[in-house]
Amino acid sequence: MTELLHLPWHEAREQASSRELVDASIATIEALNPKLNAFLHIARDAGEGMPVAVKDNIVTTGMPTTCASRILGRFLSPFDATAVARLRAGSCSIVGKTNLDEFAMGSSTEYSAFGPARNPWDTTRVPGGSSGGSAVAVAARMVPAALGSETGGSVRQPAALCGVVGLKPTYGRVSRNGLVAFGSSVDQIGIVTKTVRECAEMLGMIAGHDPLDSTSSMNPVDDYAADLDAGVRGLRFGVVREAVARLEGEVRANFDDALRGLRAGGAVIDEVSVPSIGYAIAIYYIVANAEASANLSRFDGIRYGRRSARAKTLREVYFESRGEGFGDEVKRRIMLGTFALSSGYYDAYYGRAQAVRAKLRADFDAAFERFDYLLTPTTPETAFPIGAKTDDPLSMYLSDIFTAPANLVGIPAIAVPSGFSRERLPLSLQIMAPLFAERALFRAASFFEHETGYWRERPPVCAE
Amino acid sequence: MKIDRNEAKRIADLAYLEFDEAGLERMAGEMTTILSYIDQLREVDVAGFESVATSEATLMRDDVPRPPVERSAVAANAPAFSGDGHFIVPKVIGD
Repeated sequence: MTELLHLPWHEAREQASSRELVDASIATIEALNPKLNAFLHIARDAGEGMPVAVKDNIVTTGMPTTCASRILGRFLSPFDATAVARLRAGSCSIVGKTNLDEFAMGSSTEYSAFGPARNPWDTTRVPGGSSGGSAVAVAARMVPAALGSETGGSVRQPAALCGVVGLKPTYGRVSRNGLVAFGSSVDQIGIVTKTVRECAEMLGMIAGHDPLDSTSSMNPVDDYAADLDAGVRGLRFGVVREAVARLEGEVRANFDDALRGLRAGGAVIDEVSVPSIGYAIAIYYIVANAEASANLSRFDGIRYGRRSARAKTLREVYFESRGEGFGDEVKRRIMLGTFALSSGYYDAYYGRAQAVRAKLRADFDAAFERFDYLLTPTTPETAFPIGAKTDDPLSMYLSDIFTAPANLVGIPAIAVPSGFSRERLPLSLQIMAPLFAERALFRAASFFEHETGYWRERPPVCAE
Repeated sequence: MKIDRNEAKRIADLAYLEFDEAGLERMAGEMTTILSYIDQLREVDVAGFESVATSEATLMRDDVPRPPVERSAVAANAPAFSGDGHFIVPKVIGD
């Protein structure tokens, strides 16, 4: 397999034309996808540019958008998502659409209607999710970069389990226009890359206000790569006490190693308490699912997507198209969200979850008064075997225990490879920063990446 | 919070989702498990945090005409679309 796609993209650009890069990318996808199922659509006619993959819940012209759901049928978007349009304008070429949990609801990519994606470090294990296909595509060097989306950790968690860099920008930093809506107060387009520099350059291309998304921020776009070599001397890192208290075994030892590396670079590290952080998953599953139950009402079998062939009345069109078109996890979440918003339960569930969310936000504000960054591992464990959690929704939800808080609070957070377990599965460090502090986030992540160099490691599937 | 079969049916009707009997029973059990976890939110003292409104106003854009989505693209995505530009649905009134 070509070495081109193992290089950071600024080096690859010097060694090859953009036509050669796209051809190398498509050839690698064709060779590995039968084994990994990372792509739902391969754009074999992709034009020249830096090859980029796009999660299949972000709309693109000229190729299907399925959300890994049966309900969308043969949907073809008449427009590009703003982030996709900006990538195309920035000399990128979209080489395909990546696999995901249906409507981005899941943490393993097993809830895809088109079969699970597989982890390139061990194909019997999940790649994480919901942006599993995007993480696999970058980890297996099929593309240098991919777009994903986050609601509770759906970029960082698969990036962690696949050993690549994953960024969730500040809420509102990237336009959500053209991202199929799940939880509108928590959704954000994110980025998966091999290296921190590629991630910073990608963010520079897609960030910024968009008149078509009223929640996109007017905050000026920063020079995200400006401080990549500035080091961490004197910067203050807070270790979230409540998260670390739960850690065990290899994840704990790896996290302690990461702290030693930062300290050796002159970082000031201390513990900090974020008392409400343990409630994040409970808040998340009320807030995100309440919003999802409203957002997914648009899939009605009438305007686009699939209509049940059995339906004879209007009521049957709605009930049977949705009953046949949505998978079990999507139905579970619509049911939970509908319950939380229903008369008699609204205050006890939705109202209370929003109040605890406000308290969590205040906890983070207080922590960021003392610290420039907050640290946790990205995930509580390494990649789990396919099938291990599909019968236990709650244990699947707890995969996002360290990532969901950033979505609820709106802050940016990045997952950076931090080593390997004894079974040679990737481990990952999560760094969180205050609102719109992406430039500072990349600074710390870049230092850590240079100190450790794990991005150079290759999954076994690349050698076959 | 315990969700029984009848409560699951009430919610499914609100959500416009069809389930068979076994599906309803399973959904009731799974929702009960998940809501029991979520019920830990009851123990939090939220005094002072009840209002979640933010001070930032929603940005508004000027209401200027833009080219609409092409009708042919809409027609191609619709499960049933008439030649004169309408979505076709089963009869709603009458019988």
